Amino acid sequence: MTTSAQTVVAPARAKTATATATVRRKQGFQHGGWFIAPFLALFALFVVWPLLRGLYLSFTDANISGEGASFVGLDNYREALNDQAMWDALGHSAWFTLLVVPCITILAFLLAMLAHHIERGTWLWRLCFFVPFLLPSTVAANLWQWLFTQGIGLFNETFGLDTPWLTDKSYAMLAIVIQTLWWTVGFSFLLYLAALQGIPGHLYEAAKLDGANAWHRMVHITLPMLRHITGLVIALQILASLQLFDQAVVMMDFSPGPELSTRSFVQYTLEQGFTSYRVGYASAMSIIFFVIIAAVALGRMALLRNREEGTR
Amino acid sequence: MGRPDLNRRQLLAAAGGLAVAGSFGFAALGTGADALASDADTRVRYWNLFSGGDGANMIAMLDSFRKEHPGIAVKDSTLQWGNPFYTKLAMAAAGNRAPELGVMHVGRVAGFSPGRLLDPWDEALLARYGVRKADFNPALWNRGVIDGKLYALPLDIHVQLCFYRKDVLKKADLLGDDGRMIPVGSTGEWFDVLKKAKQVQKKGLQTIGLWTNDQNFQWWFFVAFYTQLGGRWFDDGTPANTEVLFDADKATQVLEFLRQHVTDGYVIPGAPTGEQFINGAPFTWEGNWSVPVFSGAKLDYGATPLPPVFGKPATHAESHAFVLPHQSGRGGATNEAAHELAAYVVTHAQQWAAGGHIPAYTPTLSTAAYQKLEPQNEYVSAMDHQATEPKVWFAGSTGVLAQDLGPVVVSSTMGSAKPAAVAQRMKSRLTTLLASKNPMDGRTAAQGGTAA
Repeated sequence: MTTSAQTVVAPARAKTATATATVRRKQGFQHGGWFIAPFLALFALFVVWPLLRGLYLSFTDANISGEGASFVGLDNYREALNDQAMWDALGHSAWFTLLVVPCITILAFLLAMLAHHIERGTWLWRLCFFVPFLLPSTVAANLWQWLFTQGIGLFNETFGLDTPWLTDKSYAMLAIVIQTLWWTVGFSFLLYLAALQGIPGHLYEAAKLDGANAWHRMVHITLPMLRHITGLVIALQILASLQLFDQAVVMMDFSPGPELSTRSFVQYTLEQGFTSYRVGYASAMSIIFFVIIAAVALGRMALLRNREEGTR
Repeated sequence: MGRPDLNRRQLLAAAGGLAVAGSFGFAALGTGADALASDADTRVRYWNLFSGGDGANMIAMLDSFRKEHPGIAVKDSTLQWGNPFYTKLAMAAAGNRAPELGVMHVGRVAGFSPGRLLDPWDEALLARYGVRKADFNPALWNRGVIDGKLYALPLDIHVQLCFYRKDVLKKADLLGDDGRMIPVGSTGEWFDVLKKAKQVQKKGLQTIGLWTNDQNFQWWFFVAFYTQLGGRWFDDGTPANTEVLFDADKATQVLEFLRQHVTDGYVIPGAPTGEQFINGAPFTWEGNWSVPVFSGAKLDYGATPLPPVFGKPATHAESHAFVLPHQSGRGGATNEAAHELAAYVVTHAQQWAAGGHIPAYTPTLSTAAYQKLEPQNEYVSAMDHQATEPKVWFAGSTGVLAQDLGPVVVSSTMGSAKPAAVAQRMKSRLTTLLASKNPMDGRTAAQGGTAA
């Protein structure tokens, strides 16, 4: 009896529930819509419109004055694909990313483990690791420019070296990588630390009771529990590193570095647009870069989705 | 439940109030409240790129102009020098929001679309305010002339100098009877001088500061010594700028000369130049704008143009010049006031000379006050042997040419590339640039109409 009554009642209840949900959603949208309207307006004004405008300009030979531009079709793109300097610049950005991302991920994890497990003065460690991230890029870059200067810099003196960090193309990019690690590891460190604190303690207790040693606990509990945060850290770092610009420019005194070895894609785009006044060409390069970044982001999302489906 | 809402509203109201009050505050600080407040009839907006000592000197000159011309309100804005400045100036002129008066490096004028982004000077009007062509070095004046019209009114030339410390050079017996550095006429003599100075200098410092890692300075030094060798860039026939005359052998000589400072250990690559000089390094090659810095540090020092190691004296020179950014309706009282202000600053350049620059207005140079200035009086001859970039659209301070060739010179000086290979690379780059079109008007250098 009860079963049949339930089956009769249930659809009706479900129906009203959906109806209320729709009403709520509608109301929610009305209120929410107003709340996000300022954001949408700014987003349209400062992101969507410039993007469309940039796309349009990339098909013209516009100069910085905005006058006398004519439509040139795909000429800019054709030129860019044959522009060795552009490929070099893209290579530098990619090489920087390849160096920074694994280092920063491992370093952030190790520092977070350290800060998480240390018993005394925890706040001091957290502060030390995070504070560099709060520095403006120019300050952080200038600081390291001094540290790296050959002959008078503290870096060589401390390690007993005589390395031309900033003036030789074999070291210049490495110097920027070291500076970037110090400067930005704090952010990933914080993400890891928060995630570490979110792992329930009883998992470790149970594992201990089962006789798992520290290594086992790390490999079978900590790392798997941090999998999502690791994915996030890597994704954010890739996107940030590809956009290498300010620290390199400041450390190299606004030059493209020894033998152009630290000129990033963004820097080259800027030079084309604002030194050579070739706004059309620079727009085409920006669009190319946009496509590359979007592809990386989408690629990562697809990869993550597959992996999640695989684990289910 | 009502209280938090109320608090939030109060907070929002307070924040809004602050924002409004803040914007009024900024308005009062910035956008010409001083000019609005004055009862002057004519307002001249003037954009410049002078900071530091230059900025202070310029403001002092503007203040005396204001005192003498109460009918003209000068609203000056200082913007960051280099490409950020040129970008803003171009966009303001293109968007018809240009100021009445601006400053540029004269080498950049040819590429700045004279006629579209710049308006020509009215020479008759300038003459009424005391500025005549005859009072300027002809070569300098003509650099501002495009298609027969004056687009840049020179204020100064600024040059690369060889600063030396008299206290150190005295110990090395490198000072002449006049208390100045002994003359140098060849690369051999120059390196002898460095060798002697190194023997008596303070340990741990370099012998000469050479900005080895700076693309601008290395490029300027290259231009100076390449000119000393009689090197040319492009042909100047009619039509001009159709052929690259860059001499790779001469360029190699210059690059090897710059490189030798590093290989012989007279330079600490990447070390700061001015600071080491103040601390006791015997030499530094610097722009004349360092004069106030070294004089302020009370050093016993002198400054000559870059040594004529290849025989013929020539030192790199650029020039600050007044320009009239394009305004669609230029004319009338504001335009006249802009002419008057520029003429005033150019003819009252004694104050400007204190900043190390050589005034372009030659009557200033013969005044007793100028001739008393030290070390300015030691390098004033640089006016007569200026080494400049070619007059093409891609040249000029921090322009395309400097940006393309500067890093290559650095790579040779620093030793990561061979001088001969670098000279070839420079030549091929010059060939590409000569054939490429000015994005401002779609014309190549040969079609550029930059003939004087």
